[in-house]
Amino acid sequence: MNPVLGIAGYVLREAVARKFILAFVVGITLVLSVVALSLRIEVVDGALAASRLFGEELRASIRSVDVALRPVYTAAAFIVFYGGILFGIVACSDFAPSLLSPGRIEHLLALPIQRWHLLAGTFLGVMVLALGGTLYGTTGLVLIFGVKAGYWTAGPLIAGLMACVGFAAVYAVMLTTATLVRSAALCAASGFLFLIGGVIAGFRQQISPAFEEGLSRSTFEAVTLMLPRLSSLAVAAGNIASSTPLEVNSLGMLLLGVLVFGFGALAVGFWRFEGKDY
Amino acid sequence: MENRRRRRVWLGVAGLLFLLAAVLMFTGQGDTLPEEAPKVEFPRRMRAPERERAERRKTWVMPTVADAGTAAAERPRPRDPLLAALSRGAGKTAVVIEANALRHSPIGELLLDCLMRDGGKELNEFRTKSGVDPLQDLDRLVITDEGLMLSGDFSKAKFQDLMGDAVSMDYGEGARVYEPGEMTVAGPDGGTVTRRRNAAVGVWNNQLLMLGRTPDGVKEAIDRVEGRGPDEPPLIPEGSTYGEMYGVLSVDHLARLLPPEQAEMAQRLREVAQNVELHVDASSDVALVAEVRGEDKAKVTDLGKSLGAALSLARMRAQAEGEKEMAQLLDFARVQPDGESFKLEMAVPLDAIKERLAFCKEERQAAEADASVR
Repeated sequence: MNPVLGIAGYVLREAVARKFILAFVVGITLVLSVVALSLRIEVVDGALAASRLFGEELRASIRSVDVALRPVYTAAAFIVFYGGILFGIVACSDFAPSLLSPGRIEHLLALPIQRWHLLAGTFLGVMVLALGGTLYGTTGLVLIFGVKAGYWTAGPLIAGLMACVGFAAVYAVMLTTATLVRSAALCAASGFLFLIGGVIAGFRQQISPAFEEGLSRSTFEAVTLMLPRLSSLAVAAGNIASSTPLEVNSLGMLLLGVLVFGFGALAVGFWRFEGKDY
Repeated sequence: MENRRRRRVWLGVAGLLFLLAAVLMFTGQGDTLPEEAPKVEFPRRMRAPERERAERRKTWVMPTVADAGTAAAERPRPRDPLLAALSRGAGKTAVVIEANALRHSPIGELLLDCLMRDGGKELNEFRTKSGVDPLQDLDRLVITDEGLMLSGDFSKAKFQDLMGDAVSMDYGEGARVYEPGEMTVAGPDGGTVTRRRNAAVGVWNNQLLMLGRTPDGVKEAIDRVEGRGPDEPPLIPEGSTYGEMYGVLSVDHLARLLPPEQAEMAQRLREVAQNVELHVDASSDVALVAEVRGEDKAKVTDLGKSLGAALSLARMRAQAEGEKEMAQLLDFARVQPDGESFKLEMAVPLDAIKERLAFCKEERQAAEADASVR
């Protein structure tokens, strides 16, 4: 078996053993069930004519169902994107430090695999976990609104996948941090820091005029040029989920850029891990 | 040694990947600020400038009859003479077009281009003949069941020349009524042609010009302005004078405006609705709010749902047939139910109108260039 896949499987087994991952799945199921059972939508010829939440009529206007559901899908995309990354940072911050903990790392290093396989496997395992959770949540949402409103769109699903790309960049940084310091708290802190940096980087054009022209603005622009533009990705995810025109030049380039940043961060981790004595 | 080489490779790969990522993200997002999504402001209530405008128009104080001093003297409130002139009662139509406000709006500029496609020749001719400059002197234009009403400054108007042989008489406090008669106009061959004029015309205080089918209709309007009309609330209350076009449409009128394929909808409208209040804002994009009222709450709600569904179907059809502009336009369409009434909102983005009327500007410029060469 490919050693990277083997390590990924190992990470996944570890995740399943953890109770809060299961609690997360139960949580998503509960939210979806509540939405499915409490929301009633009346659609007449493609127009959202009336909606009830917990039996209470919502004062909403009558308009095309896809237009009416735009804010719902946009909100869902943002929750999945930022909520998913935040949860991922908290839930997965312990994986790499525990894998590199004394006793366990010696055992892993004794296996006939290269060192980078260990990190790549951990990264892959966590990404499979994130992908699974996202697909479960967004597919549920698409099914609920599809069945209830008769409006089928893969938008939220695509938005969820984009959130996974964003999380890949953040988790790569967390994994690299784990090779520097074996602390779950610091791993999570680096993840938070890059998430905030990524939000700022996405709004760099709007923020940069706040800096005085000269060195400070140039430094800000240079730093944010390198950071993953997570907020841009989130906005694009919202646009896709709600089927509105994209605000970015090329979504493919942006997605690839964020992913490549993640691989770059991972390569730094490999560099560090290769030279570390255990 | 091998390990050190491998580490150097990883570091080099990392640097290259970061660089590539920066280039990709920069190209992907672009370095320009995203364009703001089109937002349309719907005329849902009176705004401060419109309130001030309505206050400024309250210029007419009705003369009071002095009594023996038995009743407490009540100071009459100044009123807007144009609103006072409108007919009273349910089932009537009166739509006010704020000609002056519309003239100075972006859509007004476009319409002006269309009006002056001949380089402004006809407009100048009208100015010379009538003494009225529609672009300066006209304030409002009202379309009613009985005819047209115009408000503005008609002090320089050459009514006598325009009315030809019409019989005219003073009426009421400060009005003059011209009865239908014959008028002489210039013919295409340069000679003069005598035409029969069917409309009666009334002029009140050089502020209001009324065009009606009969002299009695015009006189009734003057009576209403001067306080001799029925004691009923005006068709358009002062609080509803917002937007560049506003008023009340009778359900019958509205139903007749619907295309034949919407006959069923027209019939339902006749059965359920009492009247339709209309407000159009043209200060940037053209946004329309129509409030439909009826007595039966359930039937009104059902009609609102049917209308919403019809709009949704039209949008889907436009999307399916690749009519992007129409689909975008219908994106803003919605129905807001509110018990015994519902509001229908629709909008036409200014850019779409600009595109449609672009030919007017081109023709006007060509005509003007042609005139300057001659």
